[in-house]
Amino acid sequence: MDSFSSSPSMGSSSSSGVSTEALMDQIKTQLAQAYAQEFLETVGNKCFAKCVTKPGTSLSGSESSCISRCVDRYIEATGIIGRALFSSPR
Amino acid sequence: MDASSLDKARLQSLLEEEKRKAMANEMVAKITDVCWDKCITGSIGSSFSRGEASCLSNCAKRFAEVSMLTIQRFKSTE
Repeated sequence: MDSFSSSPSMGSSSSSGVSTEALMDQIKTQLAQAYAQEFLETVGNKCFAKCVTKPGTSLSGSESSCISRCVDRYIEATGIIGRALFSSPR
Repeated sequence: MDASSLDKARLQSLLEEEKRKAMANEMVAKITDVCWDKCITGSIGSSFSRGEASCLSNCAKRFAEVSMLTIQRFKSTE
């Protein structure tokens, strides 16, 4: 996820008075939130499938630590995919 | 150009950039979803094996290649 970039100069205002920077900040925040929500849902689904094979009356210790590892691995996988697609080719 | 046209043009180009970033993130998310299923078949460890890591990387590149090929093929049938 990218960080905000802000221009050092004063913002320009549209005729309605909302600055371009303020609008862009709002848009970037909403995009980041939507992305995070979708990401968490995907990771939850994947890790439930991987780690909870026979749901019991509570999560066991090994299921819990599997979930933790799984979240880490999925984040790592996202990085691997991102670099495979967007880093400079061989 | 008057001030408000400049504003609109600048906003337009900022929005275009955010759109490109969002589309790139979406593509990475979708491919990670697919390649996770293809490559991470065993139990989850505290790190990826080298086989798993290279499978993920290969999978991403092959997926992108297939996407392009399907578009080309489709276009050639029009």
